[in-house]
Amino acid sequence: MENLEDLKIMAEQWSYQGIEYLQKIPPTQLYAAVGVLLFTTILLLLSIRLVRRTKSNTVLLSGLSGSGKTVLFYQLRDGSSHQGTVTSMEPNEGTFVLHSKNAKKGKIKPVHLVDVPGHSRLRPKLEEFLPQAAAIVFVVDALEFLPNCRAASEYLYDILTNANVVKKKVPVLLCCNKTDKLTAHTKEFIRKQMEKEIEKLRASRSAVSTADIANDFTIGIEGEVFSFSHCCNKVTVAEASGLNGETVQVQDFIREYIKP
Amino acid sequence: MYNSSRHIKHSLFTVHSNEPPPASTKQRKMLEQLLIFTRGGLILWTCKEIGNALKGSPIDTLIRSCLLEERSGEVSFNYGAYTLKWTFHNDLGLVFVAVYQKILQLLYVDDLLSVVKQSFSEIYDPKRMSYDDDFDETFRQLRMEAEARAEEMKKTKQVVKPLSSGVKKQGQVSKEETKKSSGVGGGSKKDGEGKVSSLTNGNHHDDVANGKENTAENNSNNNVVGLDVSKLAKLRSKGVRGRGGVRKADSIGSNKGSSKVEPPKKATKKNRVWDDAAASKQEEKLDFTDSVDENGGNDDHVDVVAADQGESMMDKEEVFSSDSESEDDDDDEPRSDEKPEAKKKGWFSSVFQSITGKANLERTDLEPALKALKERLMTKNVAEEIAEKLCESVEASLEGKKLASFTRISSTVQEAMEEALIRILTPRRSIDIMRDVHAAKEQRRPYVVVFVGVNGVGKSTNLAKVAYWLQQHKVSVMMAACDTFRSGAVEQLRTHARRLQVPIFEKGYEKDPAVVAKEAIQEATRNGSDVVLVDTAGRMQDNEPLMRALSKLINLNKPDLVLFVGEALVGNDAVDQLSKFNQKLSDLSTSGNTRLIDGILLTKFDTIDDKVGAALSMVYISGAPVMFVGCGQSYTDLKKLNVKAIVKTLLK
Repeated sequence: MENLEDLKIMAEQWSYQGIEYLQKIPPTQLYAAVGVLLFTTILLLLSIRLVRRTKSNTVLLSGLSGSGKTVLFYQLRDGSSHQGTVTSMEPNEGTFVLHSKNAKKGKIKPVHLVDVPGHSRLRPKLEEFLPQAAAIVFVVDALEFLPNCRAASEYLYDILTNANVVKKKVPVLLCCNKTDKLTAHTKEFIRKQMEKEIEKLRASRSAVSTADIANDFTIGIEGEVFSFSHCCNKVTVAEASGLNGETVQVQDFIREYIKP
Repeated sequence: MYNSSRHIKHSLFTVHSNEPPPASTKQRKMLEQLLIFTRGGLILWTCKEIGNALKGSPIDTLIRSCLLEERSGEVSFNYGAYTLKWTFHNDLGLVFVAVYQKILQLLYVDDLLSVVKQSFSEIYDPKRMSYDDDFDETFRQLRMEAEARAEEMKKTKQVVKPLSSGVKKQGQVSKEETKKSSGVGGGSKKDGEGKVSSLTNGNHHDDVANGKENTAENNSNNNVVGLDVSKLAKLRSKGVRGRGGVRKADSIGSNKGSSKVEPPKKATKKNRVWDDAAASKQEEKLDFTDSVDENGGNDDHVDVVAADQGESMMDKEEVFSSDSESEDDDDDEPRSDEKPEAKKKGWFSSVFQSITGKANLERTDLEPALKALKERLMTKNVAEEIAEKLCESVEASLEGKKLASFTRISSTVQEAMEEALIRILTPRRSIDIMRDVHAAKEQRRPYVVVFVGVNGVGKSTNLAKVAYWLQQHKVSVMMAACDTFRSGAVEQLRTHARRLQVPIFEKGYEKDPAVVAKEAIQEATRNGSDVVLVDTAGRMQDNEPLMRALSKLINLNKPDLVLFVGEALVGNDAVDQLSKFNQKLSDLSTSGNTRLIDGILLTKFDTIDDKVGAALSMVYISGAPVMFVGCGQSYTDLKKLNVKAIVKTLLK
């Protein structure tokens, strides 16, 4: 008890002394000190926010198994797909400058490219990478499109309704691969088919209650047929050929959205 | 050519340099292909000498139906006319696969793979993409040496001890052999045995190959069929009606069935009349066809269920608490591996290793952790074989890997197991039933679901729950009572149909279920129902005539979804049930398109607390996803499987 009393008295004494001391300092110095303190805190906060905003320049390559993501990855990295690929069991990651045939001018910022396996059992891996994605390239096999149309559209639907993608408005490129083959479909056809399939998905999934099959959001406008222009994030379509190395459109997309 | 043997550092056996390579051109054709690729999918090296292109895509099929299905602990994999063997280098993330003709039983392949692995890992560089110039020569040497060794082995008729991994693989084979002989349906894959899956590459059908391989050995014994015939003869002599099946099981089933009928009718117990006076008079005759029409009087007493039972749990988000797992692990781990002699060494060295983190994981290191994990899985009601196979698969994927610093072996093993479990339980195809129903609707035909399973698992109850859920989503449902054997089955379904206000198609008892189902589907097409739910009689997996009848039903009606109903209480029998069902369905299928079990409905989930292992066993053995989980006896007690929660519970 006495200790408490003593402590209280001592605290009071200190506070008086502190106030006296402060009053002794000329006001200008005081203001200057406070000003500097404020300034540094603001600077610190800003820099933290800036660091956070320069989010990773990660580009995700996703799509069904067999659509040509790994080939595309190696084309973008090395300019050739080497000796061929098999079904990926793990993601391929790399940070590099995009390989392009014509020498580029000036400094190009290296891009962090991630090729996520498309096999349905490895779907959880995609969710690991989605939070850090700055752009997504969704690769579709233009040759074997119709048999896989439904699975591809479900996958794309899951990506487009993912919370991270919607909130950050991540741009998506629908890349039609294997266009070097004669019987490959055109990108317009593929786009229309995907829109139709997603429309059907929308109808079947919005008939259920809000918390169903883990879709965080719905896309499109009520009452209208779905079109990619309804998405809040930008969805564009491009063509590419992994085996021949024609990846110009993909590279342009990546360069556009990963600003140096 | 043998002068360069000096340069080969790894030739553990001296090759007689005077001897010319025996019949080398002929032997060279025996190995079809040898590939080295990364886990990310890039092919690093293929053998250029053997130029044959492989028929089909065996490597992709291997990856999809074996390695990604957590069966990497198996010895080999058969595909078409080829057999594939593989080995991993887990530290560098490389996979080595050898392909050869199935009819040839090459002994040197394991040996060759391990030597290739060692020599390739020396020259491997992540930056380098092409190894042709270096490795071609090395490979040729290694192969000739391996072939020579095999020749010597054959000549001297001694079993030469191959390198360490080979020993373990052979040890596994013999382990599995003893298991098989003890009667447990093991999954040992031997080269050159078993039915060839001549089906095309559809991923769906690769399970057939696996399922067939797994149970090929069982089938070859033909014990099962023999038992049934004798059982049947015995039963016939006792005067039971010639439907076979164990009488006891049926009576148990009917007890359970009647107890299920009890709750809905509790309010009106007094008025329940079991088919009027006719039943009491005609005890021998099991045909109740006449009395069906007279049940009109019971209508008033059955409560009609409006949509007011609330939301089915299928539509509710599952909220599970994410408790910190690491704290629990720390308590469990030190207690679990308590071998007195290995304890001191184990603890100290594991702590040391965990800090330095440089050690390569060896099988001996992994064994205690894996054993503990297997025990834990088995206490959670995972079937013993499945736990064993899973542990082998995880072992195969961790062996040789470098421990990251500050991690213990047990936590690495735990993480690997968790990933493997999530991979198994994640469905291979989309389980969006609504979408399928809509697709069928567009084609103007009903979507047919057949519920199969053994006796007493809850098929009829869960059928009603599924009907309720579908109704809530504005899909018109029709029930088909194809359980024409068990007394009370048709009435049970009729009661459910009345409560849900759903049309029911029934033909009474003692009718052929396949024909009843066919007519039901025609009726549904006529009156425009979207979905037809077909209820079948429970049957034991060993009962040949009943399985044949089921197969006939499925072949005749070609349903869209064959749903296997299994209870979560089942233990090791789950493996047997599912594999036999699948096997019978594939054996007895007449048309080219074999239908297997497409999905699993897990019932009585509320009766198990955390012993959720049956889900894992069933999914692993059949490859079919769990589409629904029944967790109670009212209509809303149907939910989806939450993969992460189950994995967490299994590893807790």
